[in-house]
Amino acid sequence: MAYHVIESCLKQKKTILGCLTVGICLTAFSLMSNAAPVCAADQLKLSTATLCEDVQNRQPQNEGVVFSISSGQIYCYTLFDPVPEKTTIYHNWYSRDTLTTRVKLQIQPPRWTTYSTIQLRESDKGPWRVEITDASGKVLQVLRFSVTE
Amino acid sequence: MADNMETVLIFIKSIRWQDMVDIILNSYILFRFYVLFRITNLFRILIGLSILLIVQRIAVSMGLIVTSWVIQGITAVSALVIIVVFRNEIRSVLQVKNVRALFWGVPQASVQSPVQIIADSVVDMARKRIGALIVFPGKENLGEVVQSGTLWDGIVSKEMITSIFWEENPVHDGAAIIEGDRVREVAAILPLSRRQDLPSYYGTRHRAAVGLAEMTDALVIVVSEERGTILLMKNATITPVLKKEDLQQHLQEHLGMTDKNPSRVRKEKIEIWLAAIISFVMITGVWFNISRGMDSLVTLEVPVEYMNRNPAMEIINASVDNIKIQLGGSVTLMRSLKPDQVRVRVDLGKSVAGQNIFTITNDNISLPPGIFIKSFTPSVVDVTMDIPEKKELPVQVDWTGRLPDHLRIERITVNPSTVQIIGGQRILEHMETVYTEKIPLDSIKTSQTFVVNLALNPPSLKVAPGSKDKITVECVVKNIDTAQTAPPPKP
Repeated sequence: MAYHVIESCLKQKKTILGCLTVGICLTAFSLMSNAAPVCAADQLKLSTATLCEDVQNRQPQNEGVVFSISSGQIYCYTLFDPVPEKTTIYHNWYSRDTLTTRVKLQIQPPRWTTYSTIQLRESDKGPWRVEITDASGKVLQVLRFSVTE
Repeated sequence: MADNMETVLIFIKSIRWQDMVDIILNSYILFRFYVLFRITNLFRILIGLSILLIVQRIAVSMGLIVTSWVIQGITAVSALVIIVVFRNEIRSVLQVKNVRALFWGVPQASVQSPVQIIADSVVDMARKRIGALIVFPGKENLGEVVQSGTLWDGIVSKEMITSIFWEENPVHDGAAIIEGDRVREVAAILPLSRRQDLPSYYGTRHRAAVGLAEMTDALVIVVSEERGTILLMKNATITPVLKKEDLQQHLQEHLGMTDKNPSRVRKEKIEIWLAAIISFVMITGVWFNISRGMDSLVTLEVPVEYMNRNPAMEIINASVDNIKIQLGGSVTLMRSLKPDQVRVRVDLGKSVAGQNIFTITNDNISLPPGIFIKSFTPSVVDVTMDIPEKKELPVQVDWTGRLPDHLRIERITVNPSTVQIIGGQRILEHMETVYTEKIPLDSIKTSQTFVVNLALNPPSLKVAPGSKDKITVECVVKNIDTAQTAPPPKP
């Protein structure tokens, strides 16, 4: 009788321990499987942003911070890596503190290169900046440059 | 006739109470000036100077160039000389014990003959039985009847008079002639009287005194050596004097110093009234010349003064700095007008942040009296006010010129990259960047460092204390031809 009681107690403890082990494993697995998608949503990263005179083969040409008006146009080159999902970014071009051009650009996973450009006119001489923002308007980077003679 | 009456009426109506006060006050000042200084030589000199000025004006109007210059020079120098030469007179008039005397009352001329001293001396000599014969000339000249004695010309004093008649003195035997406060002559010989009715005890001294009194209007005092009596002789009257006060009164009456002398009092009253009337006429003339003379017009550019600004706000911009005012008034007033006497004030007490429009009226313009406003422009002032605040702004380089074709600025480093700017809330609200002064590109040959100021626009913006106002710009330049990039040298 006593043996039965002890044996039944031991069986109960094993059952409880077994249940706990299974529960912990399931929770850990669940956490591991959920973590990956949450982090990926925040991982849109602007890895390169530069101003240049041209873009060839998805590479910026003649990067600089001072551009002559004779070069005709300026490119704002951006490389996003990684891009977790298809989204929109903006290139906002400001002459002094006046917004002159707002360019909406689509980017797609997993990695995306995109650029915007403006044509230079005589009246464009002076300091400029380009604000690169995400879809919500959050400024990711500001590039400053000048247009001269 | 009617037109003339109308003109006069318009003129009378145009006189303000301030003008009347102006004329009366200045007339009184001139009158007091005369009253206080009439007994000094200074006033005569001033009259002379005034005549010189009038002559100078006449010379100018006649075109006498050299004459007008010379007189102008003399009067200019004289003004300085008067102050130096007559400083004692001026001081004695102004250093009165009673301040009221400066503004009220007519000071009497100081006693020309020291009657008190003479009376004392005479009484003293009578007491000591010292014989004396003293003559006080009237208006008549004594030269024809008196044989000149010894010229003395000494200021009257008790000791001197006593010593003149001291029996050991060689000149004691004649008469002493006193004019004003001076003993002019001593040992003068007087004509003797031929009257038969004189007392037998009258000696030569008495007869001489009577003789002169009969022939002239002089007053003669005789002190008897034997009896110690004092006799006063004038005209045919012989008056014994017992008291010193009586002697003083007789002397004062003779010398015309008593207030009870009606002719003298009348003369003085007439003089004072005449002075008052002349002062009034002169000041009225001056006033008329200054304020109602020929009109002239002057245009001035007067800076606008902004007052009562709320300390929490600043003037960011004002549409005008100066108001152009056309002023009118007499030529004299216009010539003496100085630009700083005309002021334009705008009260900012009720201004608010942002645009404030103020209409300028005559009340905003203050002028010296007698000058009036013909017109002014602009009549509206637009003042922009703002509340100052701080804002941290990124610094961006402002390049100018043209970089040589073979060079390219690859990157720049700006230090500090941000600065705190103080300025109007409404301005800073729209400012996202602060720029440097323009840096010329043409001179760049290689990587280099610039130290530049910030170009703050509008000028009301300031760098906050603690922030650097000098910006260091390091630029890395790449030579495209050789594809070399060098770090900038240290500044």
